[in-house]
Amino acid sequence: MQSIDLVQVVVSGLAMGSVYTLMGMGLFITFLTSRALNFGQGDFLMVATFVSMALALAGMPAILGIALTLVGLAGLGAVLERVAVRPLGQGGAGGADSLGWVLTTMGVGMILQNIVTLVWGKSKFYSPPLFGKGDKQIVEILGAGVFLEEILVAGSCLVVVAVLLWILFRTRWGNAISAVAFDKDTASLLAIDVKKTIMLSYVIMAVLAAICGILVGPIVSAQAHMGLLYVLKGFAVVCIGGFVNPVGILIAGLAFGLVEAFSNYFDSSLGDLYPFLMVLGFLVARPSGLFGEGRMDLR
Amino acid sequence: MKTLGSTIALIGLIGSLAFPAHADDIKIGVIQGLSGAPVVVDFGESYLQGIEEAVKEYKAAGGKHNIQLIVYNDESNPQRAVQLAQRLIVNDKVPIAIGTVQSGNAAAFAPLFQEAKVPLMVGPAIATDITAKFANEKPSYIFRCSMVEKYQVEALLDWAVKNFKKIGLVHSTAGYGIFAAGEIKKGLAERGRELVAIEGVAPGVSEISPQMLKLKNAGVDLVLNFTEQFELPYKAMSKIGYKPVVAGNWGLSSDMMRNIIGKEGMEGTVMGQAIDLSNPRAIDFDKKMKVAYGAKYRWPAVAALGYDGARLVLIAIDKAGSNPAGIRDALEATDNFQAISGTPPKPYSATDHECLDRRDVFLGVWRDGRVIKLAQ
Repeated sequence: MQSIDLVQVVVSGLAMGSVYTLMGMGLFITFLTSRALNFGQGDFLMVATFVSMALALAGMPAILGIALTLVGLAGLGAVLERVAVRPLGQGGAGGADSLGWVLTTMGVGMILQNIVTLVWGKSKFYSPPLFGKGDKQIVEILGAGVFLEEILVAGSCLVVVAVLLWILFRTRWGNAISAVAFDKDTASLLAIDVKKTIMLSYVIMAVLAAICGILVGPIVSAQAHMGLLYVLKGFAVVCIGGFVNPVGILIAGLAFGLVEAFSNYFDSSLGDLYPFLMVLGFLVARPSGLFGEGRMDLR
Repeated sequence: MKTLGSTIALIGLIGSLAFPAHADDIKIGVIQGLSGAPVVVDFGESYLQGIEEAVKEYKAAGGKHNIQLIVYNDESNPQRAVQLAQRLIVNDKVPIAIGTVQSGNAAAFAPLFQEAKVPLMVGPAIATDITAKFANEKPSYIFRCSMVEKYQVEALLDWAVKNFKKIGLVHSTAGYGIFAAGEIKKGLAERGRELVAIEGVAPGVSEISPQMLKLKNAGVDLVLNFTEQFELPYKAMSKIGYKPVVAGNWGLSSDMMRNIIGKEGMEGTVMGQAIDLSNPRAIDFDKKMKVAYGAKYRWPAVAALGYDGARLVLIAIDKAGSNPAGIRDALEATDNFQAISGTPPKPYSATDHECLDRRDVFLGVWRDGRVIKLAQ
């Protein structure tokens, strides 16, 4: 393997791994507060891709389009929590821990798929590059070509992990999330607004999915069912990282992306098999994940 | 009394004009893949557009029968496709059916039509053996109006071995891609050549730079693109600075490719083709479809074969009415057919149920934003 190939494969792997990390982070944050995962999170990514694509094609400046997409998806996250999670008792103090959220979050995802299909059709599309046109979006790193969006998604991933660490462990919001994660009744007694805290976690989840959606649009092809594999890989990543710490999810996400890229380089005939074998093998050896200890890390 | 008689006669005449007497209402069953993977939907919708246009024109021209299309979506699911075929045969009692996109689905329901002695016009599925399996039936009820994989691959390989030193393949690791890879390897071996690199693409994969790097490092100057996401190799190629000639499945002629990859990106891409858009009839068809379907019309080759397939069915119905055996015989006997696609004037015979033969399949190439016939 030539060194330039190595760089190319590593960069591709890190870029896709960053997407999986952000998806895993979204699953982690909602699980932390509500013990529920948004199985429609991949569809949030898909909606963000289509919305940002539509705004870009309408001639809106990139920054404004990105901001509007983030705000729109944040609102969608809040709506999801209000209509598909809270009524099932996941949000209320002492609420029953039903598993109905599996169906409701998937249901919302399917509704989103159908809305996108109605508006854009069943075919596939590419988002225009966020900045620049054609080959101008390709940047060279150590001789390897990289899409600008790939650098942005990797950069965003690192920033998001750092910000989440800061929010979770250094701010009042983070303390509130930790308290809610520990015990909702006790958090209520401490004057923490449990419902708002849970809703905040869904807003964060939706914003993370939106960041992914905006950045992967120009790299991959957009279609109404594109989200499933991302949420599946995000789930695999959060299982390896453990549902406890953003750093574990970051390491797992990047590792997943790298294994996927190298397996495609060395044996593309078996496609996604190797990264999922890695997940299986890892979970057999360490079921609680990379940093998991069978309990929540609340510091 | 004379006036009364004239009035009655006039009313009768007006009545006959307002409500033309049709010999009968005839249903044509259509099964297409109208949901599922985008590539399936692109094929299914495009072929259906051609069918609908043919029926619309038939009605506008005061067709002999009142044709009713019964359209079902097989959702890319073989089980559902079989159920729908049974429904068309048993409940809807159609005298003929047309469909579908995925070769596996068409192969699954073709035996039902053969057993029920109801003609089936396969399209746009392209697997070689769909009609061949029934060649020994006396008679076969299975026809096709679509590209045939074997002929498409042969046309590509004949051209490839003459013009390129190192041929590589990137193919889907799902059903169709594996089948195509087999045909390509076999075809190249028959021509005394072999692929210098073969790379796979799993369903759902969105980034294939590693695979394209392998082809680049092997010095491949012609990449045969038999992926199911046709656009993937182009994105990776632009990233790694790799500019081989790309050739492949007729799917590469879809306007969606130009919309996704861009005019420059598609320039020089070669594919199996069955419509020559420099032909005046094809030009008229293309214009007509753009008016009728706007941006939803995106695939002239597939729509043209759907249109020709439906017109062949309508001609047969005009000759035989709603009698399935008569329609079958009429299809075989059809002659002097003026096709939009490469379909010859006499498409079928007792021993040939493919509307396109090897000599009718040619190569197309993207030049300046449109697909033209490749000069060889």
